[in-house]
Amino acid sequence: MATRRLTRSQQLQQTILYPLDWLEERSGLVGGVKYFLFRKVPGDINWFQTLGSAALTAFLVQALTGVILAMYYKPDPTIDPVTHLPVAYQSVTHITNDVFAGWLVRGMHRWGASVFIILMFLHMGRVFLFGAYKYPRELNWIIGVLILASGLGEGFTGYLLPWDQTAYWATVVGININGTAPFLGPFLAQFLQGGTYINADTLPRFYSIHMLLIPGALFALIGLHLYLVVRLGVTSPPWSKEAAGTGPLEPPSQNGRSGLVSPRARRRGR
Amino acid sequence: MPSDRLVERRRVFQQYKEDVKDRGKPFYPYAMFHDTVMSLVVVTVILGLAIIWKYTTPGNHHTTAAGWLGKLYDKPADPGTINFVPRPDWYFYFLFYLLRIFKWPHSVILGTIGIPTIALVLLLAIPFLDVRAERRLLRRPVAIVASILVVLSMGVLTYKGATAKEALGTELLAKVPSWAKKQGFSNNPTAIAGARLFAESGCLNCHTYLGTGGHNLGAPNLSAEGAKNKGIAFQISHLKCPACVNSGSPMPSFAGLGQANLTKLATFLEASKGGK
Repeated sequence: MATRRLTRSQQLQQTILYPLDWLEERSGLVGGVKYFLFRKVPGDINWFQTLGSAALTAFLVQALTGVILAMYYKPDPTIDPVTHLPVAYQSVTHITNDVFAGWLVRGMHRWGASVFIILMFLHMGRVFLFGAYKYPRELNWIIGVLILASGLGEGFTGYLLPWDQTAYWATVVGININGTAPFLGPFLAQFLQGGTYINADTLPRFYSIHMLLIPGALFALIGLHLYLVVRLGVTSPPWSKEAAGTGPLEPPSQNGRSGLVSPRARRRGR
Repeated sequence: MPSDRLVERRRVFQQYKEDVKDRGKPFYPYAMFHDTVMSLVVVTVILGLAIIWKYTTPGNHHTTAAGWLGKLYDKPADPGTINFVPRPDWYFYFLFYLLRIFKWPHSVILGTIGIPTIALVLLLAIPFLDVRAERRLLRRPVAIVASILVVLSMGVLTYKGATAKEALGTELLAKVPSWAKKQGFSNNPTAIAGARLFAESGCLNCHTYLGTGGHNLGAPNLSAEGAKNKGIAFQISHLKCPACVNSGSPMPSFAGLGQANLTKLATFLEASKGGK
């Protein structure tokens, strides 16, 4: 039996879909992405609920600009015998003044950090005011707090890297303060410094923590955070007339705010 | 058997899921449109800040002078200099300023470790402290009051940290004769040399002395340090390694000044009996 001739558009469709089908058959990734994109969210979500993805964008800007900066930055506090400047400091002025668009990438990384931290706080404020940390999203709140703490850790370790006076002395005092904590403090200070005092090992250590340890933790935590957002769904605003917006143990009020307005949902037993 | 509360909140979550399934909108394109617009705003703001940082720096944008958003970079780190201002990035100002409120030695641990730890633990515990299902803000008075207090105190602490002034070495140097007169060490040249070092070496960026100085990081008032009669040897070993003598002190080592200078500083501190 002769095979049926495909029309041109069917041929085209098959060519495009083939790699996707191949991938889907072996990984299920296409289905995952489809699920992510076409999952339902409450119809009345609003602009405040974009703060989380805004923070994610700021984080991705940090990751991208950080990778570029790492191509030029040298975490070496020794003094260059020719210029009599610390090598690390020199690499930062080189990035800022000589490398093409280096000032822009460094500026984005420096100010992106502030934007990231502001957005994390705003996002946390939104989640708090919307009561979105309540059952069953408690775990995601905890992961969020860990992300915030890691983000502040990035701010602390990144501040030393330009190896200028401001950076150096703020970090000396910052480490000394860490050292005052009971029990773990002295160990934490020693771990951060790579010794009892700030020394030649401290800068590479901060660099490694700043661009490997904490970012790795952040990627993992953000991944978990997003997984739980998709799994548990986005909360509707607390003033929402949908079920998710109201408290179940309150007596139903007469003005209709706490009940479901849609008659179809009411029939479902509220 | 699960409690009534548990059954009820499971039912509500189930109903939420059904509601969203029935009447929700797909994430793409509706929510994604909002997210994309917001992300573009974020990237634009970051780009704008980077450009302003660079192009408001005076001169040819290569200097250590400060533009609208501060210096591109400061002078290179020099562990030998001591005239420094320990100032963190702005989002740590609230912690930085806490250390001005709590004073060395009794309560400084509250500022450095106590309050930040309590805040972190409270933050982690919020979902377990507030287990009511109610989400409407007007019915959560404790949450309203708590959030207003947190925003106010963080705002005030950040503002205070940002506007906290550091004294300049040259201005402080002019005060040395009046210090000598008040403390009565005018005829002690070693103490006067020590006072000049004290003014120049950045001590007053954290400490206070006869009404001047920063009062940062919980550093104590040194006007009457000599009245404790701890002795010059103690003062020198403290300056060399503050944490060795005073465990938990965040003060950095001043051993870099050298024995001769440390002796001058110690003589000055021992001569400071509180003034008249």
